[in-house]
Amino acid sequence: MSARASQIGVRALLTVVALVALAAPLLSGDRYLLKVLVFVGLNVIVIAGLALLFGYAGQISLGHAGFVGIGAYGSAYLVGSVGVPWLVGVAAATALAATGGLLLALPSLRLKGHYLAMATLGFNEIMYVVFREARAITGGNDGLGGIPFPEVAGFSIDTPAGVYLLVWGVTLVVVLLVANIVRGRPGRTMRALHGTEIGTLACGVDVVRLKVRVFALSAALAGLSGALYAHAVGFVSPATFSLEHSVAMVAIVVVGGTGSLAGPLLAAIGLTLLPYADALIPGLSKETVALMQDWEADIYGIAMIAVIVFAPAGIGGLLKRWRRVPGGGEAA
Amino acid sequence: MGSAELLQYVIAGLKSGAIYALVALGFTLVYGSTGVINFAQGEFFMLGGMLSVFFYQMDLPLPVAGAAGVACTALIGVAFERIALRPRRDSGPLVLIIITIGGSMVLKSLARHAFGPNEATLPEFTAGPSLDFAGAAIERQTLWVWGLTLVAVLALTWLYRKTRFGRSMQACSLSHDAARLMGIDTARVVMVSFGLAAALGALAGLAVTPLTQTSWDVGAGAGLKGFAAAILGGLGNPVAAVAGGLLLGLLESLSIAFVSSTYKDAISLVVLLLVLFFRPQGLFGRARKEKV
Amino acid sequence: MSLLTVSGLTKRFGGLVAVDDVSFVVYEGSIKAVIGPNGAGKSTLFNLITGFERADSGTVSFADGHLARRKPHEIVRAGVARTFQNTQLFEELTGLENVLVGMETSLRAGFVRSALRIGVRAEERAASARAMHLLRLVGIEQWAATPAADIPHGVRRSLEVARALATRPRLLLLDEPAAGLNATETAELARALYRIRDEGVTIVVVEHDMGLVMEVSEEIVVLDQGRKIAEGPPLLIQKDAAVIEAYLGEEVTGDEY
Repeated sequence: MSARASQIGVRALLTVVALVALAAPLLSGDRYLLKVLVFVGLNVIVIAGLALLFGYAGQISLGHAGFVGIGAYGSAYLVGSVGVPWLVGVAAATALAATGGLLLALPSLRLKGHYLAMATLGFNEIMYVVFREARAITGGNDGLGGIPFPEVAGFSIDTPAGVYLLVWGVTLVVVLLVANIVRGRPGRTMRALHGTEIGTLACGVDVVRLKVRVFALSAALAGLSGALYAHAVGFVSPATFSLEHSVAMVAIVVVGGTGSLAGPLLAAIGLTLLPYADALIPGLSKETVALMQDWEADIYGIAMIAVIVFAPAGIGGLLKRWRRVPGGGEAA
Repeated sequence: MGSAELLQYVIAGLKSGAIYALVALGFTLVYGSTGVINFAQGEFFMLGGMLSVFFYQMDLPLPVAGAAGVACTALIGVAFERIALRPRRDSGPLVLIIITIGGSMVLKSLARHAFGPNEATLPEFTAGPSLDFAGAAIERQTLWVWGLTLVAVLALTWLYRKTRFGRSMQACSLSHDAARLMGIDTARVVMVSFGLAAALGALAGLAVTPLTQTSWDVGAGAGLKGFAAAILGGLGNPVAAVAGGLLLGLLESLSIAFVSSTYKDAISLVVLLLVLFFRPQGLFGRARKEKV
Repeated sequence: MSLLTVSGLTKRFGGLVAVDDVSFVVYEGSIKAVIGPNGAGKSTLFNLITGFERADSGTVSFADGHLARRKPHEIVRAGVARTFQNTQLFEELTGLENVLVGMETSLRAGFVRSALRIGVRAEERAASARAMHLLRLVGIEQWAATPAADIPHGVRRSLEVARALATRPRLLLLDEPAAGLNATETAELARALYRIRDEGVTIVVVEHDMGLVMEVSEEIVVLDQGRKIAEGPPLLIQKDAAVIEAYLGEEVTGDEY
């Protein structure tokens, strides 16, 4: 297959997938399935950002659930308690998460490897304490309920199909934008940075500025996902934004493969669906589903170690090999 | 605040400080011989408590159950190193961090499957009333905590200074390549370091279980505090790890006394971030000039 | 006119003085060589000039500005590019992509423009054309589509030179570009250096290959244990007693070439 044909083939496939995704509410009226797919879409948004930061720029973050929480609580509070219009609330919450990312990134990105991991871990834990203790805004351990449905141009989006279309509309746009970034110059520079930081500096790249910007962008995407989550589910509590979730996100990117976007997104879809497999496979027994939910963390952990030890390029690596064209193919 | 009350807070701080010191020693040991932060160290702490409870509930006498718990955890540490880390030992630190993160996930969830979600506890090692010390009360278990920590530190110091293996460990922490050229089996040093680190974490978990109970999810918190202590003192230096642990314990305890108890857990986090941002080499470490 | 003026540059590592009060001038449009026995401080000198190490004292004037104690990427943007003794190539990227990263300083498409694909295609096309020109200049255009990890040793150093040229430097610092090259490849390198100089780039090269040094350079600076012990045209350096003593037993002639 020539490089050009391969490119057209991928684009066609992705367009089909996007159309199917948007048409899903018409194909199936199953509310449970739609709800599960909403979670999948929300995770895809976060993972897209984390894939940029960790998979491409090689900066580890164990705190991204914290940014999701900032977006969720931020939008819930602004729209629910303060009464700000929905679009403004979501935008403000996303900006808040981006700012948080910026503030954390500036001192942290001087740190290498494990120190950075620990700083982001510390951030997640601090946010968890804040979510638990700032009861006036967050409702504390009991959580915050009664979050209003999304409202666009006076219309309240309060049906499962409506929420699904909204979330997946955003998801597809995010994926498209991130894919363009990865394909273009920033993606190339990030891959360079991942290769050798010294070499990247020697090309005149302000490496610190790049890392900070990618961090802020990935934090913004996490915050956006959180804001959408809050209005889709109507209730948030601190447990959703714990350290384990941050670690799970990193696990997804590892399994998906660094240096790839498609890999982590596929991993996000697959691993998010896993505990809800009965939504897709109607015949699945309750015991099997309960078993998968019970062993979810184990599966993540084992998958992560197995991939890193035996197949370090992850799913993305497999995809690249399958798409490889003689004479040098295109960059994923 | 009266002096007796203040003393009580100091005692409490030194009690948790000793626990943090043991966990911090585990971090320092592994970091020293491999240059890697072992994210699973907190889970070794958890396993020490949980496995000891498991053996105790099988009607083994308490000392035997405790020893078995620590020994088992040490073996798990060694197994983890051999299975998950050794195949990729030449990869960069990022890969190794991820492996230890995955390891912590697996150990934690396996513990939940094996031991259930509930809290568990052990009886105090020696029953009896608290001792009085200048108006403050010291629980007997606290003396056990201090005693065990002291024994562990002394044993480690003896290992480092007086045995050949200890000198091999020191050589490894300076340079793997140089150590290998000297004929040192670096793979064995790494393996034993993991076993010892696991044992130290497990000992801490065992010692504190009668006081604070244990369950499958205590690992992350203990690991975080142990790491904060290790970083506070300065990674790579065992004495600094102990000092960092005691200091962190005191800071926490005194913050309850003078600030507020709600944010007690945030103290270690704030300390961690402050040290990372402003003095990553810790109180006693030397600043390493990072070559851009 | 003088393009680069190094004055009193000094760098200590603990008790060791790696670069000791070194001063010299590089004239625009020339090719200058820095030579010296191993450990003479040549690479450290480059690191000091390009911002990868901080000098303890001394100044570096370049064109109208100062370089000392500035960050590496700022120095690149000021017009000074370099290659490394251990090539720092982007292994996962192709030869062409490696050079394209070097064009960071001149490309406009940032995150927003790339995400929305505004003006991206035209810019990338122009950039790729220029990158191919640079690969041709160094003589390695057939490796454009090959990942750097698969590129043979003899070509890798040239690729790094092409990437350095992509930053549009006025001054190019090459750290042992001939290391590991055979006679044919070294001759090709010399021709490439002339082509680069003819494009208006001033060159300073650290080298051990004396034949190449005597052939291409107009002036030579000799370092020994961090200090400058001689400076002048090749013919004078060959006969300099201090230089010969520093190399002690090494033949410092151009005859092998």
